[in-house]
Amino acid sequence: MFKTSSRLLVGAIAVLAVACAGAPRPEARIASSEGAIRGAQEAGAGKVPQATLELTLAQEQRQHALELVKDGDNHRAEMVLARAEADAELAVALAHAATAKADADQAAQSVEDLQKKAAQ
Amino acid sequence: MSRIAALALPLCALFACATARPPAELVQAREAYATAESGIAAKLVPADVHLAREQLDAAESAFNKDATSQDTADIAYIALRKAQRATALGEAAASMQAKAQADKDHGRTTEALLNRKDAQLKDTQGTLAQERTALEKTQGALAQQKEMTAAERAARLDAEKKSQDAMDALAKSLAVKSDIRGTVITLSGGVVFATNQATILPGAQAQLNQVADALKTEAEHHFSVEGHTDNQGTDTINDDLSTRRANAVRDYLVVRGVSANAITAAGFGSHKPIGDNKNAEGRAMNRRVEIIVDKNPS
Repeated sequence: MFKTSSRLLVGAIAVLAVACAGAPRPEARIASSEGAIRGAQEAGAGKVPQATLELTLAQEQRQHALELVKDGDNHRAEMVLARAEADAELAVALAHAATAKADADQAAQSVEDLQKKAAQ
Repeated sequence: MSRIAALALPLCALFACATARPPAELVQAREAYATAESGIAAKLVPADVHLAREQLDAAESAFNKDATSQDTADIAYIALRKAQRATALGEAAASMQAKAQADKDHGRTTEALLNRKDAQLKDTQGTLAQERTALEKTQGALAQQKEMTAAERAARLDAEKKSQDAMDALAKSLAVKSDIRGTVITLSGGVVFATNQATILPGAQAQLNQVADALKTEAEHHFSVEGHTDNQGTDTINDDLSTRRANAVRDYLVVRGVSANAITAAGFGSHKPIGDNKNAEGRAMNRRVEIIVDKNPS
């Protein structure tokens, strides 16, 4: 009986320990947020003014999240990493939008020039 | 009953709002989603708008479970980002469409321009070809003219040379001199005719043939054959003899190919002596037939 209860106690402590430690280390988020930030950099977010703020936010939040992981707050870290990833993904979209807009404007200007030439 | 319900519902809503104010992130996420859903993104990138919708739903659900938790704010923040992202991707897609259209317009305009240039070029080429043909024609005509001129000049030079050669040959065996009338070829009466005769001696034919050949090279000139005697005998006899001798020489030359129209004959008897009739030598000089090539071409 004692043995059984002592076993139960050990089990309960183990469960508690796991609960106290919180969520497991958010390996997937750490990786995917890094990928998203890299993607934003490759999309030119660092050079497009409209996307720079979001990229910076993503980098800062990811840094903060990594510190949270060190402190053992894996749950908060996971949430902050998700925010960072969303920021980075937005930066990618904004960079795309800005690049596409510049391309379209240039093409429109080129057509206008050509049509002026054709009208001569 | 329905009145009570109508009153209760806004009250409930008020109460709910007062007790569970949504976090700023959720308010912003709702607005951002409304923007994405009503904009071009809904049409061009519906999948991304749908992702934003799902995240907003998750945020609403988290809000309903625990209005004030940090997790709710985080989920709403992500919903806000996803909605903003959908809008940005919609704008990017719209820009890409605009660029594609502009490229198409560019291509069409370029083609039109090229076609126009091509037409202009063909036009110019046509004009050029016409001008070239005209030029070639002119050049051909000029070349032909030049050739003809050259041929004519060569022919004339050739004729002149022949004429000169013939005259030179004649000058060697006959008395040829130039005077006011033109070139005068003098045939000695004693060599060509027997005394008192008007028949050309066989021995003189070679000389006369030479004369005929020379005259033929002077086709554009008129020739006069003049018969002369010394003063022996009567004028009647001498005039007649000199006329017959002149005619005989003319006839012979015509037979040898000199144009009959170009040659006339006349007898002058003893009226135009060139030597002294008092001595035999002078009389021999006076007995003669002269062939005069007129100085001026007829």
